[in-house]
Amino acid sequence: MITYFVSLALLAVIYGIAAIGLNILVGSAGIFSLAHAVFFGVGAYAAALMAIHVTPDILVCCGAAIGVTAVLSLCLAFPALRVRGEYFVVASLGLQMVAATVFNEAQGVTGGYGGLAGIPAPTIFGTFSLGTPTRLLLTSLGILLLGLGVVLAFMRHSFGRALGAIRDSEIAARAIGKNVELLKTTAVVLGCTYAGVAGALFAFDIAFINPESFTLDQSGLILTMVVLGGAGTLLGPLVGAVILTLLPALLTFLPMVPPTEIGTLQQFIYGLTMVLLMIFRPAGLVGRRSARR
Amino acid sequence: MLVIQIIIAGLQTGLLYALMGAGFSLIFGATRVFHAAHGATFVVSGYAFVTCLKLGLPLWIGALAAMLFAVAFGLLLNALVYRPIQRDRGSFFTVFVAAFGSVIVVQSAMEFFFGREPQTVGSSMTRSVEVLPHLFVAPIFPIILVIAVISLGAVASFLRWTSVGLSLRALSDSPSLVEAFGLDPKKASNLAFGIGSALAAPPAILIAMTNGINPAAGAHVMLISLASTIVGGIGSLVGAVAGGILLGLAENGAIAVFDTQWSEAAGFVVLFAFIIIRPSGIFGARITR
Amino acid sequence: MITRRGFVVGAAAAVAAPAVIARAADAPYALGTLYPMSGLNAEFGDMYAKATSLAVEHIAEEKLIRWPIEVRSQDSQATPQGGAVGMSRLVNVDQAPYVLLGFTGVSKAAAPIGERSKTVMVNGGGVGPDLANLSPYFWNVIPLANQEISALVPYLAAQRLLKVAVVFVDDPLGQGMLAELQKRLPTIGGEVVGSYSIPPTARQFGAIAARIRDVKADAVYFAITGGGLLMQLIKQMRDNGVDQPLITYSVGNLPSLASLPEANGLVFTGQSADWSSSYPATKRFVDGWRSKHGSDPTIYAQNYYNGTRLFALLVRELERTGAGVTGEALLEQRRRGGKFDFSGGEVSFDENGLITSRIQVSRFTSGRVEVLRAGDL
Repeated sequence: MITYFVSLALLAVIYGIAAIGLNILVGSAGIFSLAHAVFFGVGAYAAALMAIHVTPDILVCCGAAIGVTAVLSLCLAFPALRVRGEYFVVASLGLQMVAATVFNEAQGVTGGYGGLAGIPAPTIFGTFSLGTPTRLLLTSLGILLLGLGVVLAFMRHSFGRALGAIRDSEIAARAIGKNVELLKTTAVVLGCTYAGVAGALFAFDIAFINPESFTLDQSGLILTMVVLGGAGTLLGPLVGAVILTLLPALLTFLPMVPPTEIGTLQQFIYGLTMVLLMIFRPAGLVGRRSARR
Repeated sequence: MLVIQIIIAGLQTGLLYALMGAGFSLIFGATRVFHAAHGATFVVSGYAFVTCLKLGLPLWIGALAAMLFAVAFGLLLNALVYRPIQRDRGSFFTVFVAAFGSVIVVQSAMEFFFGREPQTVGSSMTRSVEVLPHLFVAPIFPIILVIAVISLGAVASFLRWTSVGLSLRALSDSPSLVEAFGLDPKKASNLAFGIGSALAAPPAILIAMTNGINPAAGAHVMLISLASTIVGGIGSLVGAVAGGILLGLAENGAIAVFDTQWSEAAGFVVLFAFIIIRPSGIFGARITR
Repeated sequence: MITRRGFVVGAAAAVAAPAVIARAADAPYALGTLYPMSGLNAEFGDMYAKATSLAVEHIAEEKLIRWPIEVRSQDSQATPQGGAVGMSRLVNVDQAPYVLLGFTGVSKAAAPIGERSKTVMVNGGGVGPDLANLSPYFWNVIPLANQEISALVPYLAAQRLLKVAVVFVDDPLGQGMLAELQKRLPTIGGEVVGSYSIPPTARQFGAIAARIRDVKADAVYFAITGGGLLMQLIKQMRDNGVDQPLITYSVGNLPSLASLPEANGLVFTGQSADWSSSYPATKRFVDGWRSKHGSDPTIYAQNYYNGTRLFALLVRELERTGAGVTGEALLEQRRRGGKFDFSGGEVSFDENGLITSRIQVSRFTSGRVEVLRAGDL
């Protein structure tokens, strides 16, 4: 039973890291991306390939994930510089859909729909294995705290204020001399690398990855975590991640639901929660009550 | 001949996308609400049609039901979800997440009542006939063409020639001005939702007859409709139609030229290209950055 | 927009909450099952689960083994991801030494997990050719696609269907079957004239039908995972002027397809099954199934019945020697050879954990299954 909770917690932490990253884009910079799962996937594939072919050292694999994700996130940064708002949403949507097909087709790299199986357990400092769920959870928590620290540092710094300025009015921000292009690109790259690291941890957790985990569904899930918790707040994304990861688990304990309908019921409650929350508490659970956007 | 066949297939799909895109564009253009749940309207409408036919009711009643349910659903969503959010100065994010949630609610409700398997109504109209050597066209194709032209023509005329239609166009430019002229923005927004949602009924009926309706069917159609609105140019009805047709052709064309695997992504590649090169779309106004 | 996938990780983690069937308190044997209990292929999972529980009942009645069997089930959703997560749960949480599973993608994802933990995995439904060599711990009680295609090829030759167009889902099963066809057709002077891969979420096949017509194939072969997609494909092929014979593998033997008018004439291969046989184990299975479910069983049901039975037969030997029931011990026992008394006849395994079976070629004729060519071993 303990293993069960540990694995659930691990999942919440992993998605939490990804959600924090998306919050940098959505909450701080106003860049509404539906492609976050793409970078989650890129990080997962990078780490998995590194672990399978070179070394399962967690620092190396996460480093690979960060590197590859940072470079590929420029694919998202580019449209972010060209358009914003609804246009950008649809553009990110386009990127997500194309990436899904690329993941399926680049079989030499990703293994296609059959995926990459048998990802070895992560190690650190040579031989110390982080393979058990508990150890992986502690590692992930460490990474999560580190990630939060980085966000805090950035946001306290003028970077955070500058992003806020861009979110509120790009024209004004440019008028006061902010290098909008550089700031936006930095935000995108930073946010996406969080997703990459989360993806690497995900790959180690399940020991198997394939394109099914990196679709529009997951992008939507992570986005909902951010908005539910409260975009722009520090802990909002985490709250959202915990709730949305736990919700399906809690539902399984309802006695009167037949097992074949559990999935449907989960979705229904999930969707309804989203709608109600947006009507009555749009700033999210952590956000201020009548937050003006 | 293969080329012509693919073009016809592309047109058939494209017209359906065009209708969905036009509906979305109308709603978005008039109310500025990013009605991402338009796909849910499609699904509800389709199931209404299929259920009527499965109950043995004639085709025209099914079609009527599809239309009624589509309009009712669109209005319901506007009243229960979008308006409360907008009252509270809801941001784009909020509306989007709410729409997203609504889609999920509808999808799971449909799954619960109808199951996940596609439901279809068999009809001889979907069976192709060899009209020219190696050219197969189903009787349903000219029907789709006619319905699309009539619907779009009707909507366009309405917007252009009637005063109510004019008020809708005015609404997107300046809601306060509309009020000043004594027109009710709330009524106008309902009108937009009503007409826009009604446009989802013909595609739903046609898809129900050809491929079958299943709860997840709205998603793909919705995504492509969003894409066609952007490609065509937000705010332009003609653009949404052109965008839809273009994307339908791209999707089917990809099958002919590239690996069949890329058909789903083809539309989005086109979208992405437009965003990078010409974000305002084919017919849209230049967007200010 | 959200499919089951959006929840797969969370939900599968959730399903792991051990819901244990209350049985005798002593030391029941844990038998894991990894079937699709939700999603488009839940029809299969339901069938497999029924077969498993029938077998467990019979095993208890025959008093084959000392302690009762406790079935621990996880939902694979018929996807590789679901399979990986479910297998992980079965190994870590349910501690099952022996797991029954199905579907090629699921198997390939679960195999490394089972191998690492030395858990026996028995496949009764997936037919991808590379399931033959996944791991010493991975056994197959179903003939694989290469065996099915080997049996199909003489039929193709006899019917002069030499130019075959292949529509396949781009997953391990589809790829494996395409490769097999590409290998075997030239031996009868035929060839794969066109191969069209479709994403598992595809819905519109009109353009593919156009290409198939263009390439002038003699027949069309479907290497598709799952019945719902197959139904749509067949309907749209016929709707779009593809008149050629349609052929597929054992997945075609579905009641929902039998009643589809467009599927009339669909040819499919599959294991030979003689439900009227008087072989005791067969009779017991068929009678049990008929009395419980009021219809004839399917070949898949028989495979999972046998897979469960195999567990009991092996455990019986282990009990005799006093060995603990672990994956390793079960593998050793199976390797000792000998014949196993299955429904359908006695079987033995080769070193790869494969059994030999008879394959037959059948066709849907007016909603009924008509056997065209009974198989030879």
